Order: sequence, then C-alpha cells, then structure tokens
Amino acid sequence: MAARSELAVTPRAPSALREGWDDLVRLFANVGFGVSLLALWAALTLIGVVIDQGKDPAYYVATYGPPFARLIGRLDLANIYHSGAYLGVLGLILCSMAAATFTRVIPRRIPRLGPVKIDAIPLHAAVRVRGEPAEVRARIAVFFAARGWHVRKREFGGDEWTFADKNNWARRGVLVAHAGFVIIALGTTLYWAKGFSGQFAVLSGASATIPQTGATLALKNFSYRIEPITTKAGIVYQPIDYVSVARVTGKDGVAHDAVIRVNHPYDVDGTLIYQSTYGFAVDLRLTKDGRLVPGGPDQPLKEGEGFPIGGTSRSIQYARFVGTIDRATGEPAADPRPNDPGVVLAAYDGDRPIGNVLVPLGRSLDLGAGYALTPVRYVLYSGFQYGYDPGIPLVGVGAFVLLAGLCISFYFLPARLFVIARPVEGGTEVGLAATTVKGYDVFEDRFGEIVDELRRGEPEPAH
Amino acid sequence: MDPTRQLLDQILLSFGLAAYIGGALALFAYLLLRLPILRKLGLPLAIAGCAAQFAELGARWWMTGVWPLTNLYGSLSLFSAFAVLIFLIFAFRYDLALVGGPVLGLAAIALGYATTWNQGYMPAVPALQSYWIKIHVPIVVGAYASFMVAFCVSLIYLFKLAAESHYRSRATLRAVAAAPGGARVDFTLSAYASTPAATGRIDTPAIADAAARGDAFASWLAGLPSLARLDVMQYRIIAVGLPLLSLGIITGAMWANEAWGHYWQWDPKETAALFSWIVYASYMHLHTRPEWRGPRTTLVSVFGFASIIFCYLGVNIWISGLHSYKM
Repeated sequence: MAARSELAVTPRAPSALREGWDDLVRLFANVGFGVSLLALWAALTLIGVVIDQGKDPAYYVATYGPPFARLIGRLDLANIYHSGAYLGVLGLILCSMAAATFTRVIPRRIPRLGPVKIDAIPLHAAVRVRGEPAEVRARIAVFFAARGWHVRKREFGGDEWTFADKNNWARRGVLVAHAGFVIIALGTTLYWAKGFSGQFAVLSGASATIPQTGATLALKNFSYRIEPITTKAGIVYQPIDYVSVARVTGKDGVAHDAVIRVNHPYDVDGTLIYQSTYGFAVDLRLTKDGRLVPGGPDQPLKEGEGFPIGGTSRSIQYARFVGTIDRATGEPAADPRPNDPGVVLAAYDGDRPIGNVLVPLGRSLDLGAGYALTPVRYVLYSGFQYGYDPGIPLVGVGAFVLLAGLCISFYFLPARLFVIARPVEGGTEVGLAATTVKGYDVFEDRFGEIVDELRRGEPEPAH
Repeated sequence: MDPTRQLLDQILLSFGLAAYIGGALALFAYLLLRLPILRKLGLPLAIAGCAAQFAELGARWWMTGVWPLTNLYGSLSLFSAFAVLIFLIFAFRYDLALVGGPVLGLAAIALGYATTWNQGYMPAVPALQSYWIKIHVPIVVGAYASFMVAFCVSLIYLFKLAAESHYRSRATLRAVAAAPGGARVDFTLSAYASTPAATGRIDTPAIADAAARGDAFASWLAGLPSLARLDVMQYRIIAVGLPLLSLGIITGAMWANEAWGHYWQWDPKETAALFSWIVYASYMHLHTRPEWRGPRTTLVSVFGFASIIFCYLGVNIWISGLHSYKM
C-alpha cells in the first residue's frame, strides 16, 4: 500500500511534448515577441503604402526598373495585403494575443491582501493625525469609501490593515481590447467566406446585371455638375455632384426607381450599389472613301477600349475624352465639361504605341488608303461598385469592443492602497503605500493628491 | 464672397498665427528662464490664438456654408488649434507649461504651412459631401494633434536624457581620475528608466550632482520635470491620441463603406494610418514593461509622430489615392 501511495503522489515529469508546448506558449505570450510581430505587421503595411498595389507587371518595370520589379513580383509585394506573409503575420498576432490573454492578462491579479513593508514600496507616505488608531482607522475607511475606493480590513499579527482598491475591474481592459481585435478578424473572415463585390459601367439607356444576385440596373441617365471656382491659383473646375437615375430590379422582379449618388448607395436585397465613376463613351465610325465599312466598333467605346484595324497588326485605342479644346492652340483646355469636345486616340502596332492624336468630335482622322475614323458623338456612362458583406456588423461590434478595451485600459487605472495606523506620541501615524498594475510613476500625482487630501482632512496630533 | 467677411477671416487667421508665434517665444523663454511672468504671458496668448483659430474655422463655415475641413488648409488649421488645446489642458491639469514653446512653435509652423494651401473658398467634391466629414476628420486630426504634443514631450525627455548621459560620462571621468584602480560605472541609459518612482525622487543623479556643484546648465536641467514624469506625460497624451486614432479609423471605415462600397480599401491613407496605429499600439504594449518604459518607448513615440507626419502630409501630397484632397 505504502509503495502504491508513494507512486500516486510522485509528480510525473512533464513530457517533452508538454515542455515544448509550454515553451511555445511562453514565447507567444511574451510582450517582446508580440511587439516584434506588430513591428513586422507595420513593416509589411508600410511596403504596401509605398509600393502601388495591384498594378500590371509592366507598371513596376516602368516605375522601379527591371531588377526591383522582379523582386516585387517574386516577393508578392504588388499584392502584399493578400499575400501569405501578411495573412501569416496576422495569424501569428492572433495566436500571440490569445497566448498573452490566457497566460498573462486573465490570471493577473493585484497582490493578495497582506501586510507589506510600507517604506519598501516606492509610492509611500506617512501622515500623523490626532486620535486613537481604531478611531483613525474608522475615519480613514470613511475617507476612502467616500472617494469610491473599495475598502477592506484584515488583521495580521495583531496589526489591523486597511486595503483600498479602485478600478480593479479595469484589469480586464486588455482582455476586452484583444477580444475586439478577434471579433474584427472574424467579421473580415465572414466577408471572405460569404461576401462579394464587383463593379460595372453602364451607358445611359443601357442596363447591367449583378452576376451574384441577378439584380439588374437600367440607367436612365447620368448627370454631373462641375463648377468653375476662382481660387488664388486660378480657376479650378470643381466637381459638385454625380447622379445616376436608374431602374433597379431585385429578387421580387419589380423595378424600382433609384437615384444613386456618391455617399448614398442603393440597397437591393442586401447588396449595396454605389456611385463610383463616370465617363464619356464615344461612337467611332470607320469609313473608306466616305462609306461606312465593317471592322469599326459596333458600340460606343469607353476610355481604354479599342479595336483592331482589319487585315493589319495595328489597332486604335480611345485613350481619353477632352471636354474642351482650346481653339487657339488646338490643345486640351482645363475645363473638363464638354463645351468643344474631342477624343485622344492612340495608335498601336501590336503592343507598341506609335502615336496619339487629338481629334475634335465630328472631324475625321485620315488613316490612309482612303480610310477615315470619325468620333461622331459621346454618350455619358456611369460606373458603379456593388458589394455584399455579411461581416460588417461583426466588424463594427469588434471595432467598438476594441475601442472600449482601449478606453478601459487607458483611463481606469487599477490601484491598491495599503494603509496601517499605528500609535505614536500624541496621536496616530498613518502609513500609506500604493501599487498599480502599470507601475508607480503613473499613479504618482494621484497618490500625492490623496496624501494631501488626507493630511488636510485629518486633525494634526496634539503636541 | 463678401470682402468684409474675407477680411474677418484674414484678421482671425493672422491674429491666431501672431498669438502662436508670440506664445511660442514667451513659453520658450519660460522654458529657458523659468520666470513666472513669461508663463503668465505665454498661456493667455496660447488661449487667444486657439480661440481665434476656432473662431476663424467657425466663421469660414458660417460665411460659405461649406464645412471648413474639406481641404488641407482646413485640416492643418484644425490640427494646430487642437494641438494647442490639448497642450493647454495638460498645461493646466498637469503643470506642463514648459512644453508650450515647442508645441506652439510647431502649431505656428503648421498654421503657416496651412496658409500656403489656402486657395480660397471652394465647395466640397462629392465624396466629401457627407455628415461623416464632421465626425471623422476632427477625430483623426485630434489624434494627430495629441501625438504632436506627445512628440514635444518626447523631445524634452530625450534632451534631458542626453544631458544626463553627458554629465554621467563627465562624472565617470572624474571618478576614474580620482580612483587609481579605476571605477565601474553603468553606462546603460535604461538604468534610470526602470528605477521605481517615489514622490519627489531624482532620476537624473548626474544632473543633480552637477547642479549641486554649481553647474548652471545642470541647475537649469534639474528644474525640468523628472524623466519619469515626462514619460508618464507622454503616456497620458498618447493615451488620448490612440483611442482617437482608433475611433478615427473606425469612423473612416464607416464612411468608406457608405461612399466607396467597402469599409477597407487598402488605400495608402488607410494603410498609413494603420501603420501609425500599430506603432502606437506597440508603444502601449512596450510601456507595460518596466525595462522598456522610458528611453525606448520615447524613441517609439518620436518614430510614431514621424509616421503620423507621413500619413497626414506625405500620403496626401505625394501619394495619390482616394484621400488626395490637397486643395
């Protein structure tokens, strides 16, 4: 029996696996490690600020030169916020927060109620007052209770100690902040799992369908308001309003009138449609010897669109719209409104640009061999974004939980006062010491104020 | 617009700028000479300048009907007004008037720079025509202003720390010269940072020692707040700025969700603000550790303000994105 009993109480040596796990948790719970991860997160975020994201490889070659462009491509720096490295760091931060929360934040307690060496605590003071210790202790309890401190009394070795605590609950602030961060991460994940977004452009009089929901938008018209404003630097053409008037048909099959403006999205079955961009599509007519020929564009082109010239390696691209051509110079004027409009057409031989030309609307561009290209008219089009994000409520809740956690952590300082009253000649000496979860410096002012208040409120000892 | 109203705008702006310059000079002189009269002169000038600036922004709104924070001029103007306001709150609550010189100096520079972006009175572009502009912009600018005040405290901290290091090395040389066997002295700057506080303690002993021996510069340094107190002040000001920045990012995300179709677009401004948020979140984490509190967290604060300047001006001016509202 004795042998069995001995076996039963002998602590088992932790397994190598357990030790490894404990080491890993300790590492992840370490503040230095957590801050290192934050630094890594910051560095990756900054790379995304400095390097334009989501551009074509040719853009990086042109902007940074071939060696750096290759580096950007290999390290996935052009899409850094969705790269494995970025998501991996975020995952490690979540792990670090979880480890810190469960091993440091939750278990952290203010020291147990017990006697302390008042002089050994950096924030300490002694106040001499009139009266017997028991009477002074009672007055002090009232003093602290009246100022919102939670007062408790304990006796140790014949000495009666008074302990006053404030904002003890606020130790959970970091936990709340961490929880907010996790809720935001969950909300973001929900968008990736179930949300969608996209964009489309619709010519006035045409319609488009949102592929994920089947909702359709028929654009009646798009209008804009741009006003010339006189500033110190000259006239600035300031956009004032962009408005799309449309008929939107959702799951119920009923068409609803919709006026969509910037900052005023339209909700169709939970999917929001946003006014995003606008532009001028242009009808281009290709003729030979004055007669319309096949091979030209069969519908208005938007900026950036083009068409090949049949039987050749060449193509024509509609590069951009010019609202007003300066009659005197023939160059684009500052006014973007279509007063005297034209289009900039770019010619390509294969992928190689071979030239740009500004052609006023209604005039023909001679392409040679009897061919001519004429920008006939413009049609306004409206660009929309749409999106469905079921994670938004969760992200919102997480954001405010995070904010609440920060405010609790920063503005409610958990503190404890240790107070002992001992008899001295002519009265009682009250010894006070204070400790907080954030060190002593941060409580120095308040402690001084408390001691001063106590000194002022208590009668001085008889001499 | 009515020339009389424009004149009122100009007068308020000029008065605010002049008051900041005067206040900065008075409070710099107070920092150097510690004459109470200079404090009594500088603080009212700061109050007057701040009031004039808020009045100017209000008048601009009243005169044009356009919220005055739709461009870099308006936001920089509010930035300097908020910085002075936050300084004043801390100056009165925590007796921090000594920091007023650098704060008012930077506020004057910000306001002066803002005037170079003042193109007159322009209506807002469609993206800025939202009630969110009245919520998001003041919150974010308030955060930037808090970090600016914290940065000024950090500068004084680092100055005093460098002076302490200088006096310590001189004291060490004296000790080495005095002791034939040589003397071991701890050169690590963090040695004092982890020193627990005590009311009325001295955490720059070399400065105190030099001051006691009659060194005039050391006596002046000894009159500055203790390093521990400056560290706590930085912490307190950043504890105002970080929740404001968090709230600013949150309200910005809510606005973006309404205007652009997603609460987070990875726009350079958003990501630069996230970068700054991470820097200050790191500051707060490091500040929980006694071994990091002090010189190291102060350097993080300085770096954090550099990141704020990049986020505020660098991204607006040099990097194009959804937040490029320079004019």
